[in-house]
Amino acid sequence: MAELTTGQGVAPSPPALKSAVRVEGLTKVYPNGLRAVDSVSFDVKEGEVFGLLGPNGAGKTTVIKSILTLTSPTSGRIFIRSVDALANQAAVRQVMGYVPQEVSVDGDLTAYENLLIFSKLYYVDRAERGTRIREALRYMGLDERSDDLVKTFSGGMMRRLEIAQALVNRPSVLFLDEPSIGLDPAARLEVWRHVRKLNEELRTTIFLTTHDMLEADRLCHRIAIMNAGKIVVSGSPDELKAGVGRELVSVRMGGGGPGGLESGPVVLPPGFEFMKQDDGPGPGRGAGGREDVILVGGRAEEGVPQIVRAYEAARVDVSSISVSRPTLDDVFLKYTATRIGEAEEFRQAKSARRSFRKHAR
Amino acid sequence: MPGESNAVAGVLHERQRPVLLRFVTSSLVVAEMEARKIKHASSELWIRAIQPALWLLVFGSALAGVRDIAPSQFSYMAFITPGILSQSVLFIAIFYGVTLVWERDLGLLNKLLATPAPRPSIVVGKALAASIRGVFQGLLVLALSIAIGTGISVNLLYILGVFGVVILLAMCFSSLSMVIASLARTRDRMMGLSQVIIFPLFFASNAIYPTQIMPEWLQLVAKANPLSYGVQAVRSLLLTQNFTMLPTDLAVLAGYTLGLLSLASLVLRRIAS
Ligand SMILES: Nc1ncnc2c1ncn2[C@@H]1O[C@H](COP(=O)(O)OP(=O)(O)O)[C@@H](O)[C@H]1O
Ligand SMILES: [Mg+2]
Repeated sequence: MAELTTGQGVAPSPPALKSAVRVEGLTKVYPNGLRAVDSVSFDVKEGEVFGLLGPNGAGKTTVIKSILTLTSPTSGRIFIRSVDALANQAAVRQVMGYVPQEVSVDGDLTAYENLLIFSKLYYVDRAERGTRIREALRYMGLDERSDDLVKTFSGGMMRRLEIAQALVNRPSVLFLDEPSIGLDPAARLEVWRHVRKLNEELRTTIFLTTHDMLEADRLCHRIAIMNAGKIVVSGSPDELKAGVGRELVSVRMGGGGPGGLESGPVVLPPGFEFMKQDDGPGPGRGAGGREDVILVGGRAEEGVPQIVRAYEAARVDVSSISVSRPTLDDVFLKYTATRIGEAEEFRQAKSARRSFRKHAR
Repeated sequence: MPGESNAVAGVLHERQRPVLLRFVTSSLVVAEMEARKIKHASSELWIRAIQPALWLLVFGSALAGVRDIAPSQFSYMAFITPGILSQSVLFIAIFYGVTLVWERDLGLLNKLLATPAPRPSIVVGKALAASIRGVFQGLLVLALSIAIGTGISVNLLYILGVFGVVILLAMCFSSLSMVIASLARTRDRMMGLSQVIIFPLFFASNAIYPTQIMPEWLQLVAKANPLSYGVQAVRSLLLTQNFTMLPTDLAVLAGYTLGLLSLASLVLRRIAS
């Protein structure tokens, strides 16, 4: 496991550095001999959104289930706020909230009832129950549907209700297993907005798993990329992407140099390098003129002024500049030599959610 | 809202509710969940009552003419009322394992297991939930039997006793079903296994004929069958009013129930993973 430390312009992690969830050498071998999780270690800090990113079957859910004491690890240690989770199972369950990957609200109950039952199972004081439930529903934007049967809800509303349900015991860590799986793009954005709000406004520590790079990129302060039971690399999204290699600047050039002057060869400053240099209009090129692609040592935006100066010095007319950066998919590609194939799983989960609603009706 | 709670350390040191209290509360809450579901879909209760009604009316009438099938001092319809009542509870309870597998396939079971509720309370809660439906079935069968004048005795105290037996029967067979669920593990196999087990339980018992008419080996099976003890207990309450065997019947049934509840609690995690 590599820990990246290139710290330029990284989104700051929250200041609290106390450990919320610490996992050491977690290994889970299923009875059928499959090593689903293999010596996984990480440390989630309080107030942080921590993401476990990996393709279907990487072992993410198994990690979550181990932490939540839903399955017993083969070896390894787990601490929730430095309390040994394996030795104090009921006590640590009391302070964790859990939204499983699958649907976990009961379609035959109302939204309010779903939360009521769970507040009782978490031994929330009778006097406080009503307030907490209403607050959680309002926070997730569901207060108007409080008394409707959940089977009438859309997938996105169900997901938000599941999160609300996990909030009634005011968990110190919230576990979200694939929070936006199977949701349509609008519902997905809505869930993201709520997750971020939870973390920013209420400082809830959030541990999520996802196979969706964009989700990891948007929501997480830190990410651990998991493949075939192992964490292959971890760091903030920016660190990880910076670790992939250099960023790219594409330069589109206009016609001739200004004022009819002869343009000379472009000389790039040190640390910059042409990946592709265009000599003139050629076949298959649009009317937009010529395009150079330059590899930049550091962050691309910071290289742009120097590039522009180099082109000016050579009297080459620049019409537009664009910057492209590696994505988390490129990070995954670099460390595992495969891309996260997500389309299929996404479709499957979506149809499962639909068929649940159909059956529930 | 979540956040600044002083988390685990606090919870560990906080004076915890006694385990027994947590166990009882959680069991009742899991049962409450079911009760609320029934409330929202009460028509289902009536639909489920059709089958036992048909057994009593059609099967009971059809065989009422066959001589010597039942002890002569009672009508055959009176004789099978306790049998049909117990059978209807068996049929309701044995499908609780299917529900459990279904809830596993969704994330519901895992979510329940992730609460601090003691795990056996989830099993006991589900078994109590089966009892709620069982009691309703019992009420309808009894009402029907009284309405058509089968001649069962109508003594409030004894009828309360019948519901005690119904609750035991429902808990017994729903926990048996949860144990089977841990072996079947998929919904389809679970459906299949439930069908397979339900008929031997029903026919190899004293529910609709006295065991004396069976070959010896089948009598042994019937003697091991918890349903027989339930039927016998209900029969003594509703027909003979001879209670010499009642303590034994109840003890055997309670023993089965306790054993199966414990077994189901042990294998619950197997269903979940
Ligand atoms: N109960 C189980 N028994 C055997 N294998 C399992 C079980 N649960 C999961 N697996 C296997 O373990 C691997 C990791 O699964 P999982 O943790 O669900 O991955 P992810 O959540 O990343 O998709 C997969 O190959 C899966 O098939
Ligand atoms: Mg998963």
